[in-house]
Amino acid sequence: MADNETLPDAPEYDNEAAGDVDYDDDEPLDLTRENNAKIIMLGSATDDDSCASFQFENEDHTLGNALRWIIMKNPKVEFCGYSIPHPSEPKMNMRIQTYGDITAKDALIQGLADLRDLCDVVTDTFVAEKERFVTEKKQAVA
Amino acid sequence: MDGFDMMDSGTDGPIVTIRKADSMHADFVLSNVDLSFANSIRRIILAEVPTLAIDLVEVIANSSVLPDELLSHRLGLIPLESSNIDDKLLYTRDCDCDGYCDRCSVVLTLVAKCTGDQNVTVYARDLAVAAGAQLGNPVLTDEAGKGSIICKLRKGQELNLKCIAKKGIAKEHAKWQPCAAVAFEYDPHNKLKHVDYWYETDAKAEWPKSANAGWEEPAQENEPFDYNAVPNKFYIDVETVGSLQPDEVLRQGIKYLQEKLATVIAGVNKSAGQGAATNTGGDVNGMDDGYGGARSPDMNDANGYRNFNDGYVTPYGGAGGGAGAQTPFGGYGGGGYSNGWP
Ligand SMILES: [Zn+2]
Repeated sequence: MADNETLPDAPEYDNEAAGDVDYDDDEPLDLTRENNAKIIMLGSATDDDSCASFQFENEDHTLGNALRWIIMKNPKVEFCGYSIPHPSEPKMNMRIQTYGDITAKDALIQGLADLRDLCDVVTDTFVAEKERFVTEKKQAVA
Repeated sequence: MDGFDMMDSGTDGPIVTIRKADSMHADFVLSNVDLSFANSIRRIILAEVPTLAIDLVEVIANSSVLPDELLSHRLGLIPLESSNIDDKLLYTRDCDCDGYCDRCSVVLTLVAKCTGDQNVTVYARDLAVAAGAQLGNPVLTDEAGKGSIICKLRKGQELNLKCIAKKGIAKEHAKWQPCAAVAFEYDPHNKLKHVDYWYETDAKAEWPKSANAGWEEPAQENEPFDYNAVPNKFYIDVETVGSLQPDEVLRQGIKYLQEKLATVIAGVNKSAGQGAATNTGGDVNGMDDGYGGARSPDMNDANGYRNFNDGYVTPYGGAGGGAGAQTPFGGYGGGGYSNGWP
């Protein structure tokens, strides 16, 4: 930038705030599950924390849509939506607005826990059904 | 859950009905869940369930007609038996070693030479897994048990390759896909009008009925459109490539979805004290202080590969540990099988 004074300097990118990690140069693509969810809170619109936007790094529709749905199921939540601002940036934004009884962050945490519980239920249901299917098949053969 | 009604339909929880299943397919109906959740499951079993695939090839000799890189690509795409990979292998990036080692890779060798006048065909079954490996046998599903063709050799041509197979996910490269396809359908009669069928004169007459049409009532004549209706039944057919059983693919998929959630929970909790941003001028307020080397808590900790650290066990059993290794399809024993030509 010093060479060309006619161009304004790009704003400093705050690596720490963005949750950036120093990546090993040998690793072209960071896909470790362990580093996947770097989450930051974007500027909030209200003083009481009832509304907030979050930015998830390295997440997409796989997490976004299901999480959006389960957070909307919470009756204390007025609005929840997500978007992927640009297809070539691995970032997912989520907006949560509650009626004020709980904070947006609490709604997010509740949503994550609820979705995890739902996963458990689906796994159990699937395993039970698989057992039933296998038994039935065995009986049919016998 | 927090006392509020989880399900759109108001009935009790998700339901799974298996319609058909074998070692490579699981055709089931998932109902009483939301479209977004069913789609998450589809996406995760397509792209984020780890398997084993050849990732590095050291070419000692290749005088075949195929160039090294083409051969390496073909080798990468061969499905390798990968069940319970999380208990057996680390990702190389999480391993202490330089390059690769026994804890994060499986070595397969391919040695073949054509000496006779008859051309020789090299099949996937000619890949020999290193003794003692707990996984990594090539998947052989054809009746003759040969597997896919790697290349053909004429008189005097030879192959001598050392293939290093690593754990990975399909988000990084499609060779790590556990599934060839995941069929996904809902609303076979298009009552919700999520599909706008193109037609010459009559869509009903011109489009074939879905195979799942029999599972739902078609719309009545002149039935009014239900604006509150949501998709509720999802017809899913998981078709694997043989590296994992469909049952394991699904269970692992849900496990990884939960692991994603756990990672986010850890990220949110870590920043607990910090409130919402007060500066809204485009600045982001650090919720997470770098998230350094934080590891996601393993949901099914009993299976977590991080257990390597406590009560350290090598990923490979002692001598003869690999003897029982075989594909779920019968095939052959893991032990001393010869590399001989038929
Ligand atoms: Zn290693």
